[in-house]
Amino acid sequence: MAYFADRQYFDDPETIKRGTEFGEGKLILDWYEIENDRVRCTPSDPRRGLTYEDCSKGAYSWDLLPEFVRHNYSMAARGSVLVPGLPDMGYTENRKSDIWADNIGELYEESKSRRWAPAVDIDWKALAATDFDPAVTASMCQLCTTLSEVSLVGMEFPSRWVYLVNQEFLELKSLLCAQMMDQARAVEVFRKRALSSGGLKRASANVQQALKELLMADNYIEGSIGINLLVGSLLLGVYRVAATASTIDAHLFRRCQQDAARRVAYGMGNLAYHLAHREGRQEVLNEYLDLVEHCFAGIAGATEMLEPLIVIAGGGTEPGQVASGRARVASIYRVVVDEYLGRLAAAGLERRDRSRLPAFFAAA
Amino acid sequence: MSYLATSHFLDDNEFVDKYLYSMRTGELDLSWMDAATKEVHCTSANERRGLTFRDLDVDGYGFSDLPEVVRENRCYAPRGAEIPDGVPDMQAGVNRSSDVWAYNVEGYVEEAMSRQWDATTDIAWTELQEAELPEEIGKAYAQLLTFLTEVEMIATDVPAKWMGQVNADFIEVKNFIALQAMDEARHAEVFRKRALSTGYGLMRASVQNEYNLKFLRDAETFSEASVTLHLQAEGNVLTLFRFSEYISPTDADKKMFRLVMQDEARHVGYGMQHLKWLIKHNPECRETLHAHLEEAENFLFGSIFANEVFEPFVILSGKGLKKENIDKGLVITGMFQMRQTEEYFERLDKCGLTDRRERSRLHEVYELTKQGLAAQGAI
Amino acid sequence: MKVDFPSTSFFEALKDRMAQEQDRFTKLGYFDTTFGVTVVGPGEQRRNYLLNFEVYECMGAREIDNLEGEDPDFVLEADIAQWQDMLRNIQSNGGADTDHGINTLTHFGEGMKVIYDDPERHDKLFRFSESIQEYFDLAADLQIEYAS
Repeated sequence: MAYFADRQYFDDPETIKRGTEFGEGKLILDWYEIENDRVRCTPSDPRRGLTYEDCSKGAYSWDLLPEFVRHNYSMAARGSVLVPGLPDMGYTENRKSDIWADNIGELYEESKSRRWAPAVDIDWKALAATDFDPAVTASMCQLCTTLSEVSLVGMEFPSRWVYLVNQEFLELKSLLCAQMMDQARAVEVFRKRALSSGGLKRASANVQQALKELLMADNYIEGSIGINLLVGSLLLGVYRVAATASTIDAHLFRRCQQDAARRVAYGMGNLAYHLAHREGRQEVLNEYLDLVEHCFAGIAGATEMLEPLIVIAGGGTEPGQVASGRARVASIYRVVVDEYLGRLAAAGLERRDRSRLPAFFAAA
Repeated sequence: MSYLATSHFLDDNEFVDKYLYSMRTGELDLSWMDAATKEVHCTSANERRGLTFRDLDVDGYGFSDLPEVVRENRCYAPRGAEIPDGVPDMQAGVNRSSDVWAYNVEGYVEEAMSRQWDATTDIAWTELQEAELPEEIGKAYAQLLTFLTEVEMIATDVPAKWMGQVNADFIEVKNFIALQAMDEARHAEVFRKRALSTGYGLMRASVQNEYNLKFLRDAETFSEASVTLHLQAEGNVLTLFRFSEYISPTDADKKMFRLVMQDEARHVGYGMQHLKWLIKHNPECRETLHAHLEEAENFLFGSIFANEVFEPFVILSGKGLKKENIDKGLVITGMFQMRQTEEYFERLDKCGLTDRRERSRLHEVYELTKQGLAAQGAI
Repeated sequence: MKVDFPSTSFFEALKDRMAQEQDRFTKLGYFDTTFGVTVVGPGEQRRNYLLNFEVYECMGAREIDNLEGEDPDFVLEADIAQWQDMLRNIQSNGGADTDHGINTLTHFGEGMKVIYDDPERHDKLFRFSESIQEYFDLAADLQIEYAS
């Protein structure tokens, strides 16, 4: 127990008096006199329902969020009437440009709308009946073991920050919760995919080391770029390869791809917003990425990620299959790095001449 | 930089050489194919339910084999995988099953994933657009919704705060936490949207209730957090949702409360099943829990100062502000509060904390109030 | 009724089928993108189509001379033989197999190119990938007349 009430209410005469008065029907009704902004939000498109964007109106609009939130450290709803004495919840993320993105509302609504459930939305029976090369089966089990590790860290990241984000940024907190659910779903589906086809294989020290370095970023924006953009971009490529294993896997990994793409979109939006509102941050973030981009190589090049991808992409372990697989993986890795750097540039962070990743992946 | 990987992969010659060698020659290591793990082929026990976590509860991977103290896995590896040397320590602080596990947690996870709903599309917003609420009802309802949107996200922040502390072997619990976070985000969303669609907007924040939220947030152990958040606070909110459904001004509002109720009941279910598990496997925790609940009940009693919550209930249940409405509303609200308290103690009884009643000052007050109401013929 | 490929009537037939399969697409979720399809025929002759999706529906499918002026999120471009191969595969399997899915065809740049200017809008290909694939899979039971 770390926080106590300011008094023992059971022994407090004022409390007893208040209770007695209520019992006698003596209401206070001071709140009833409040006149706040009387908006009446309605769906702008009935097919879409009532979105957060529809509710960003008047005194309640996210456009009114200041760069520095100094006026509210409590859980009071944004736009409600604040009263003296509201406690400090200990939020550390109180600066809009560190965390915000212009696409938050859209992505949150999309994540709910495009939800799915691994237990029933994947045809597990048909998967069990699918004829795989044994090496591809083992590779899928290994890949799913590795992806379980990646997804777990993907789930830890929003959890690590959401309770520190000021409640004024409700829509962002909601999106972080949606990301937690997306990643929980990924953890679930990869575990189910592996355990339905032979079981898990080997965890990866390299993958985990890289992930921990990214997860433990000192501040939100760096963590967001690392997890959402760097790892997210890599996953989009990995899922594209894994989707080729079978028709069922195509369904499974396309859905994972959709979830990952929303993370990437938020990462881009967050970076773009940050850079648009803060001078001199390009160099700081470029330096950060100079330091951590090796983690991308650590994950992509880890034996437990690379080799199963090659086997899946080639269809087996015969020399011709491996040759085809590594050509495809080399190609997709180059595409993924190019896309990643393109996303950074589109968000305002140009580092195509600075990153060591293109040279590393071109060498193969 | 608070953590640096033990290798800089772009400068690690051994890593780079191995990668390039594999990619250029096609000679793969493939040692992972012989990982020391169990071979399993899990299938659905019930095809209509699909492949569930319970179907994965098999030798080598299952939750049934979880030890009381997890000593082997300190990293991000999924339970049952081979763990090689060199993995990092995720620095989990919650490594005892009894600190987090709950009977049927795997069932709650599947239910949560399957019963997700969307506040944007599953409420008849266009119908509500037409609903005109009289000033007294509209304002009282907007105040109630302001309170609800204010408090819901505590049930995101509290479990999320613990997520990184929970050992990766308790993956079903971690997934439950993630899904609960989403459930609560949706609740904060639906109540905000409803408040902003009433035509009255948001009303006043509730200082007294926020103290209670801070108490929930600052619990020192996961179990303390769970017993007060899941069982006490969410249990009370569950009763409140049922009551709110009863006093809702429109059918669409009733549906809204039924939907949030489902989620809340799942969270209360987890809280109860965790408390049962905890008391069974770690009975010495009882005194700590009693101490924590004592303060939780103190906060609850103090919420009498939250007139911005109590009074809207009176108005909504009495359907107005006239004296006869208030009198009726007071009786109904009093009964609701009695029900809330009774259900709280029933839940604790059911979990094995039967001595809470005799130790609780809240229960003392409850008994006195009950006797008073009986004397008046109100119950 | 037979529809020619490529033609506006082909994409309109998919649009109609999508409307008939409203539940399936509603379950997949919001589908908000406008993308182009380019079919490259003999002699580099190009036929361009603009497909517009909103919420759960296809709002429009039309042929246009030049996609550039339309500012689509991305364009899927392949020669006519590739498109026909994909559609024949969809028809014989009831849906694309892994070698003929949009994902496989685009991701190695082998069979189909994805053309885009804005990486963020390009990512809608991934954000809505299941809906996009299921949209093309609706061709499974169309009677298609292929241009020679």
